[in-house]
Amino acid sequence: MLLSLSWLRDFTPYEGSVDDLAHRLTMVGLEVEEIVRPFDHLSDLVAGRVVERKAHPGADKLSLCTVDIGGSENLDIVCGAPNVAAGQYVAVALDGTTLPGGQVIGNTQIRGVLSQGMICSEAELELGPDSSGIMVLSGTPAPGSRLDHALGLERNVLDIGVTPNRPDCLSVFGLAREVAAIFNLPLNKPVFSLQEDTSRDCPAELEIVIDDPDGCPLYQARLISGCTIKPSPDWMRYRLLSVGVRPINNIVDTTNYVMFELGHPLHAFDYSLLKGSRIRVARATPGSRFTTLDNEERKLNEGDLLIWDDQKPVALAGVMGGANTEISEHSTDVLLECAVFDSLSIRRTARRLGLHSESSFRFERGVDQAGAPFALNRAAQLMSEYGPGQVAKGVAFSEPKPHVPVSINFRRSRANSLLALDVDLDYCRQIFSSLGCEVDGEDDLLRVTAPSFRPDLTREVDLFEEIGRIYGLDRTPEHLPKVQKSLHQEEVDRKHAFEDSIKQWARGLGLQEVINYSFTGMSDLDLLNIPAQGRVRVFNPLSEDQDVLRLHLIPGILQTLRNNLGQGNSRLRLFEVARSFEQDSGSETGVRENTRLALLLHGPRHRGHWPFAEEDTDFYDLKGLAEHLLERFAKFPGKFVMFDNHPYLEPCVMCSLLDYKLGFLGRVRPQMARAYKARKEVWFADLDLDQLQNIHSDILPVFQSLPKYPVVKRDMNVIAPLELKYALIREVVDQAGISILEDVSLVDIYYPQDKPEKKLTLRFTYRHQERTLQDHEVDQVQQELAELLTQKLPVGFP
Amino acid sequence: MNSVLEINSSLKSLVHEFETRMDQASSLRDLEEARVAFLGRKGKLAKIMSAIPGLDSSERPLAGKTANQVKTELTRLLEDKKNELERLAAFRLDPRFDPSLPGRIPDMGSIHPVTRVIQDICSIFTGLGFDIVTGPEVETDFYNFEALNLPPGHPARDMQDTLYITESLVLRTHTSPMQIRTMEKRTPPVAAIAPGKVYRRDSDLTHTPMFHQIEGFLVDEQVSMADLRGTLTAFAQRIFDPGVKVRFRPSFFPFTEPSAEVDISCVMCEGRGRHRDDISCRVCKETGWVEVLGCGMIDPEVFLQVGYDPEKYTGFAFGLGVERVAMLKYGINDLRMFFENDLKFLNQFA
Repeated sequence: MLLSLSWLRDFTPYEGSVDDLAHRLTMVGLEVEEIVRPFDHLSDLVAGRVVERKAHPGADKLSLCTVDIGGSENLDIVCGAPNVAAGQYVAVALDGTTLPGGQVIGNTQIRGVLSQGMICSEAELELGPDSSGIMVLSGTPAPGSRLDHALGLERNVLDIGVTPNRPDCLSVFGLAREVAAIFNLPLNKPVFSLQEDTSRDCPAELEIVIDDPDGCPLYQARLISGCTIKPSPDWMRYRLLSVGVRPINNIVDTTNYVMFELGHPLHAFDYSLLKGSRIRVARATPGSRFTTLDNEERKLNEGDLLIWDDQKPVALAGVMGGANTEISEHSTDVLLECAVFDSLSIRRTARRLGLHSESSFRFERGVDQAGAPFALNRAAQLMSEYGPGQVAKGVAFSEPKPHVPVSINFRRSRANSLLALDVDLDYCRQIFSSLGCEVDGEDDLLRVTAPSFRPDLTREVDLFEEIGRIYGLDRTPEHLPKVQKSLHQEEVDRKHAFEDSIKQWARGLGLQEVINYSFTGMSDLDLLNIPAQGRVRVFNPLSEDQDVLRLHLIPGILQTLRNNLGQGNSRLRLFEVARSFEQDSGSETGVRENTRLALLLHGPRHRGHWPFAEEDTDFYDLKGLAEHLLERFAKFPGKFVMFDNHPYLEPCVMCSLLDYKLGFLGRVRPQMARAYKARKEVWFADLDLDQLQNIHSDILPVFQSLPKYPVVKRDMNVIAPLELKYALIREVVDQAGISILEDVSLVDIYYPQDKPEKKLTLRFTYRHQERTLQDHEVDQVQQELAELLTQKLPVGFP
Repeated sequence: MNSVLEINSSLKSLVHEFETRMDQASSLRDLEEARVAFLGRKGKLAKIMSAIPGLDSSERPLAGKTANQVKTELTRLLEDKKNELERLAAFRLDPRFDPSLPGRIPDMGSIHPVTRVIQDICSIFTGLGFDIVTGPEVETDFYNFEALNLPPGHPARDMQDTLYITESLVLRTHTSPMQIRTMEKRTPPVAAIAPGKVYRRDSDLTHTPMFHQIEGFLVDEQVSMADLRGTLTAFAQRIFDPGVKVRFRPSFFPFTEPSAEVDISCVMCEGRGRHRDDISCRVCKETGWVEVLGCGMIDPEVFLQVGYDPEKYTGFAFGLGVERVAMLKYGINDLRMFFENDLKFLNQFA
């Protein structure tokens, strides 16, 4: 909402500074977002007086003017306007001035005569449509004074962000009420007297029929006849311009002016184009079409509310009038509508048609039904004055649902306890009165009746807010609360804490956290072969690359990879903790959210400097991270087995823990990686943190006495075929049931060049809990193990 | 000195004396002198041993054995010290040894600045007694809007452009649904914060379609505006600076009444609107204030949704944008950087 300061002063005598006003409005909840100087672009122009006009020696249609601009010497200005004459006060653009349209004025030769500037038309100054001649200023401004001052143009306009609960502040008068309440100033309603033409009787000529009382609780209209369509007076046009409204003509401008002044949207029909003697308010026929003022044909549905004459719809109620009854230069009789429409209905229509107007904006938030007759009369009076026209006697109206005022009980003690204040009853009474409420009652209890322009005041707590707002929330006391806890702690949510510990773990291992969007493009999922089943589509995405939620974390983190490769960062060790989304009818919302950990390694294993070797990361770097994760959070080693036909990983290894599938790790298929600009191997893992958290939360360390007896270590060299997986050897050893075997580790693998086999060196650690082991016992166990291995597996020993 | 006891005692003190000598030795020459003095033909050990033949024959083997053990011990101490000195010499003398060469530095991990700020904020509020709660990012219209006093068609729904999954399912536009979800499960007193991702259909220089919020709320008997103001002032001063000024401006949210927006004095220009060099401050647009969060006293309608008695209980709630706080705290000037994850950006938060 744009508020002109001089317009405000029509209703309340605020004499303070614009900055202080902006601050105080902001502090009562009317945030001033900006102080606009709407005519700043005219600040270089000056008022001048034409001292003499002569014909241009070289051109019939040009005049040569001598213009006084208050300097020691008059200027010579060539002017092409037919209406220029000596004695006129005019708008002068001097050498170097930029006009609103961007044209820079300079001293130029025009047909052999030097012109020291330009005398401007209204259109050139964007102050009106008239380009037929120069603009002649009224009054006698001092030559050389600033044009904007000479015209009385508004210097300060406040751009106020009005919250949706305050439709009353979408008008100058409504804001004046707030200003009066804040500064304790009087509030003066517009004063006017409306002369009616008794020769015509509006209600006798016109009947109002409302088919849908919920959609239209009040419809009223006045008839103004004999108008001449022309520009509205300067002051009205300048005020409209100052709040960003383009002046059109005296009738349309008046409806806009009153809407800004009092907050009530009005509409003017060309009465001669309305057929019959009835105005009807009724829903649209589904599928019908209607052409609005902007000459767009709109397709309607049964929810749209229309204004009809006897034959046809003539306006899309509260949103926009129809082209078929628009005020034109030929109009003389005007039917002026001032109605109340249901906010929900207007909102639905405006949204569906993408047709948001100043009018629909106000109806959506709620207009002042009790104030509607005043707004209608105000506009009728302005039309009678500036139409100029005759206002027919009476108002044609129907009000199937009159406004019912809401009375609210207000307990001062409760207000004080909620706001931590100690205000007395008189103070409360004064605030409510100044805001337009009727107040009754005494002691602790007031009965407050909210005015019809404050639909937001329906409950006691709404009144508490008014007290806090006007008193100043910023002035209320402050202290830290005593946060009470239930003795019996209810269910504890450990999810956040667990995710945090995962992040700390990853950071400690030198991984860097990234955060990617939860959405990606269908084409990304397709590219990665991710199944179509289970995808969660965004119904109204911003763009195609954000039209589906991540079923796997990979698209986002590959995007990060691409960004970084583009930035020249090729050594990446990344992690992300985020949710995957999958359709699941069993979930509360129909979408299963699963918190997962993504790991991505790309480029050299180590920092690129001595004494590190230059090697690229490989599978075992990735697996090591996964193993470390399980060791840290699960205390159990995971199982890692080959997995075929994974959509985007090859090779792909499935990681499971106990009986739970945790996820996959492997290399992103090279052709897919290349789509993200990666030429080197991209190692990626995606693991289920919800599952890991479940396992983790069951683990409680149980103390075991420290061993008293020493260990004995023995190495064993095993020769195995290349394809024999290490896990099989471990399985045989682990299942041998050797009680003194404390640990087995693989210390070396050797691949002889000349044979298709591998040589593994296993290191066995033995310990007895109750005594020192003898060499020969250990030798025997080693021997048995070797025999077991040869029985079960195709292995041999050197 | 003729008894075996005397000899044993001399041998023992000889070991101590040698150990002291070794500790003091700082060169191979010191060692050679010590060797001659203790282990040489005319050294201290030889002198003690020369008394052994004079002992009774029954005592001689024991004394001899002890003397040999002492000799072995002294030799070992001497060798150890010699090794130590040689290793030291090797570092000093080897021209290749260069302590200015880089070491094997383990990789520097990093936490995303958004996570960092969430951690900071969570620790402030857990310190004040708030629990951390989590909930779904795909949310029902009921939890995201209706239960928060935002019925269908409410103009305040326009305050947030929503990304829909279906007609009744949205990507949550704020973390406020966690108020409802938590209150449904618990009975007052309840004090919790809910950090997480939120989504809006908005993308430009100052908006990303996904960002992070932290919701906080406290419900109990007798909770007042003063509790809210105190909590948020304490928060702002702890997360930014103890000197930061906090301003409460009335505003409107359907789920709080009264509602307020909280501004802090601009951390870039220290609330002056202009920098020291008189350049106008772009962060606060010369106002000296920047908005950091929205808050208010929980609306009675919300309590009715979860079955709390609004006559008995009052409470406050607030919601703050994490990226906004991170930008102010770290001086980040481009919102989009958060989700581009450029290493040169991430490395700054290691």
